[in-house]
Amino acid sequence: MAERVTVSLTLNGERRTFEVPPGRRLLDLLRDDAGLIGTKEGCGAGECGACTVLLDGSPVTSCLVLAASADGHDVVTVEGLASAGRLHPFQEALVTRGGVQCGFCTPGIAVTGVAILAHREADPSEQARLLSGNLCRCTGYTKVIEALQTVTGMENE
Amino acid sequence: MSKRAAHGGPLGGRHERPDARAKVAGSTRYVADLALPGMLHAALAVSPVPSARVARLELAAARALDGVEAVLTAGDIPGKNQVGVVFLDQPLLVEDRVRMVGDRLALVAARTPEAAWQAARLVQPLLEALPGVHDPVAALKPGAPSVHEGGNLVRTFRVVRGDVARESARAHVVVEAEYHIGGQEHAYLEPQGCLAIPEGRERITIITSCQCPFYVQQAVARVLGIPLAAVRVEQAPTGGGFGGKEDYASEPAACAAVLAFATGKPVRLVLPRELDMQASTKRHAVVVRHRWGADRDGRLRFAEVDTVMDAGAYIGLSTVVAERANVSSIGPYHVPVVRVATHVAYTNNLFGGAFRGFGAPQVTWAAEATMDKLARQLGMDPLELRRRNVLDDRRRRTSTGQLLPRPVLARECLDRAATLAGWDEFHARPRAGSAAAREGMGIGLVLYGCNLHHGGQRLDRSSAVVILQADGSVVVRVGLTEMGQGNLAAAQTIAAQALGVDPAVVQVWQPDTTTVGDSGPTVASRGAHMSGLAILDAVRRLRTRLDPVAAELLGCRAGEVELAGGFAFVRGEPERTVPVARVAAEMAARRIEGIATGWHRTKARRFDPETGTGAPYEFYAMACHIARVKVDADLGLVRVEEVSAAQDVGRVIHRDALEGQIQGGIVQGMGWAISEELKLDRGRLANPSFTDYTIPTAADAPKVKITVMESEGATGPFGAKGVGEPSLIPTPAAVRNAVCDALGVEIDRLPLTPPTVVAALGERHPFAWLLSERRVDDHERLATFDRDG
Repeated sequence: MAERVTVSLTLNGERRTFEVPPGRRLLDLLRDDAGLIGTKEGCGAGECGACTVLLDGSPVTSCLVLAASADGHDVVTVEGLASAGRLHPFQEALVTRGGVQCGFCTPGIAVTGVAILAHREADPSEQARLLSGNLCRCTGYTKVIEALQTVTGMENE
Repeated sequence: MSKRAAHGGPLGGRHERPDARAKVAGSTRYVADLALPGMLHAALAVSPVPSARVARLELAAARALDGVEAVLTAGDIPGKNQVGVVFLDQPLLVEDRVRMVGDRLALVAARTPEAAWQAARLVQPLLEALPGVHDPVAALKPGAPSVHEGGNLVRTFRVVRGDVARESARAHVVVEAEYHIGGQEHAYLEPQGCLAIPEGRERITIITSCQCPFYVQQAVARVLGIPLAAVRVEQAPTGGGFGGKEDYASEPAACAAVLAFATGKPVRLVLPRELDMQASTKRHAVVVRHRWGADRDGRLRFAEVDTVMDAGAYIGLSTVVAERANVSSIGPYHVPVVRVATHVAYTNNLFGGAFRGFGAPQVTWAAEATMDKLARQLGMDPLELRRRNVLDDRRRRTSTGQLLPRPVLARECLDRAATLAGWDEFHARPRAGSAAAREGMGIGLVLYGCNLHHGGQRLDRSSAVVILQADGSVVVRVGLTEMGQGNLAAAQTIAAQALGVDPAVVQVWQPDTTTVGDSGPTVASRGAHMSGLAILDAVRRLRTRLDPVAAELLGCRAGEVELAGGFAFVRGEPERTVPVARVAAEMAARRIEGIATGWHRTKARRFDPETGTGAPYEFYAMACHIARVKVDADLGLVRVEEVSAAQDVGRVIHRDALEGQIQGGIVQGMGWAISEELKLDRGRLANPSFTDYTIPTAADAPKVKITVMESEGATGPFGAKGVGEPSLIPTPAAVRNAVCDALGVEIDRLPLTPPTVVAALGERHPFAWLLSERRVDDHERLATFDRDG
């Protein structure tokens, strides 16, 4: 039996413990051990942002984070953005503003967008800069930024 | 009943895309999210060199690795060792000859992906290097190493109309140019992948990320040596395609299928990004030579085009791409004399394939560059030069001699885009003059033949199935695929419009080869068109059974039944209604067949492949993009500030999906124009990652302004035309022309990366003395686009 390490973390608000090989990526823990397949692997090199999750509230590419280093921390995946069965307002805005096409980058974009909004960033070009770690090949980003602006507008009302 | 449905139905609206909610919640399952008990993971051992003879494959180390269940080579393939759509020149697994980097040598199946890929790396090929050829022009010269038997010229396509020598004499200005246009990586966010589930050695199910389940079905049946009916291919939710999952998706599927038959277990294959970029098809690199002449008033007299396309090591779809490039070479212009030759050349490079635009973006880039050069030589506004030459309602014969149906909206596209962009205002005001931010504006215009070319018209048919459920909800299956572009939304809208129900009532399911007929590939901007017409046919047939039941409930004749807003009603008496759901329940109660199939095939056309004249396409769409750029002339950095798009779409089906196509097409086109460079080092891709191959980020995206033109007369569903590709094609040309406008130089090379821009400035660059040939690479490293802004 290969060596295992214990990882205890808060995952989408729930206390969870996993026994994993020391080299396991956080991405694999989420997808294979926790069954949270919403987090996608697009490149495995931290370049595309499809695997973005919140680690203690900050967006990180989970393909570059060792599962063991998440021990004792708080992780939120796309599945954890909804509350009380309702999508996060940014997810809702992506749907209603047409910001979803093939959908493969969408979970990562949703997670990063929620972090952008949590930091109260309201300027669209600054929002675009903060979103530039999440590649999308379908939308040209216009409707994604429009969705962010929709939520920004709601919050400022 | 929704308000919208009451007033004319969902057509042209912005209702929620049916796939959006699951995708945004992260619950859509792509191939990599599917697993079965006992499932194995596949990996590929590939060639690191572009041209070699295989002396031996050493497999013992790979087979000995813990967790490995199969290591297979060419001899283990039960059927034919062949893939490819048009010509069968490509083996699934190399037998003795390597022709490109990434050629498959062996297949591995193991219990974990890590073990599978480690075993693949342990496959040791003994390769004897052979000479290779990496330049398509050089490949056609006598004495070049032959990639396949029979020489490197695969085919030449031509358009020949009129006498060039006679018109040459009448030309006042002549532009001669040689354009070097690079390839492009699709960079779909979801890598290629599939899951193969065997049933003994009799049948197999393939669930795959693809644009054409029917191509996959054919490839799998061929390599397994089983009938088509024994292969069930289901399209999984597909994370982007752009042409990259048209034919290539058959190859990973064939690999997984062979492993699944050999092991008797489900096998999943997902390509790692680096291998996906290295081994999959690309937009073709081409060299285009032009000699175009115009008279004193700027009217085009003749156009000669000679294009060499780098097919790479296998034909794939290259001849089909060349067929489109060939007839798209002149653009939407009236030219009395045309001579086009398009040559397809084998090399030992990565192989070219389908990519959004399919050969048209390259030749459009060249044509639009030449138009701007002619304008500069004549001292004429580039917009005015185009206005004088575009096809219109009086002059509507294309360069292949096809008479376009009215209305021909080229001039309207130009004028609307110019208004949107503020062309006249931009040119009236003084330009920002500092070297760090020179401004420019440029035009790109395309005439795009929708659906498949004459040469592929045997594939231009489509199938649909519509099932009216007992509760009034509706199942729709079409043979065309959703890969992000919005085909589910389009099919849903069209079915809802035709049945007079709310779109939310209609569920469109992804195709499966056992439930819907072969509808060809989802390419050529034909998805909504071909899905839609087949759905309308199915609805027409369903109504032969639905209308009599509705008529009985309404107390009228079947011929008087109309459907709208969720109700069947009596024509002319909208107060006499019965819900469609009630009619459905009645049909179910009476055991009346609630399922109907639909079929559509495009009209047969006349086209002479020898002279390239006739009607290559059934109908055309038009689009004009105008780009405004800022160029930092010191660094050679291009920033696309704004793109204004005017597009003839026939009829809007789903407005958000349409806008998404245009916005996304523009940004993908912009990436190809300025930053996406395939760096080939003797056939090996030197930059197979998103750090080194830079696609646009949110921070790079320009502001996009859109005006869509609806027009009568198109044969699509409710008069709609294809939109996927006309949305991309004009942008790279518009960006090139804007950069040249900003700098006052001609750039004949794509992409316009910093070294290319700086090199074009030559002695005019402030640091020209620094930029010796040797230093260009260093400069490029310093000046690559900074992801973080």
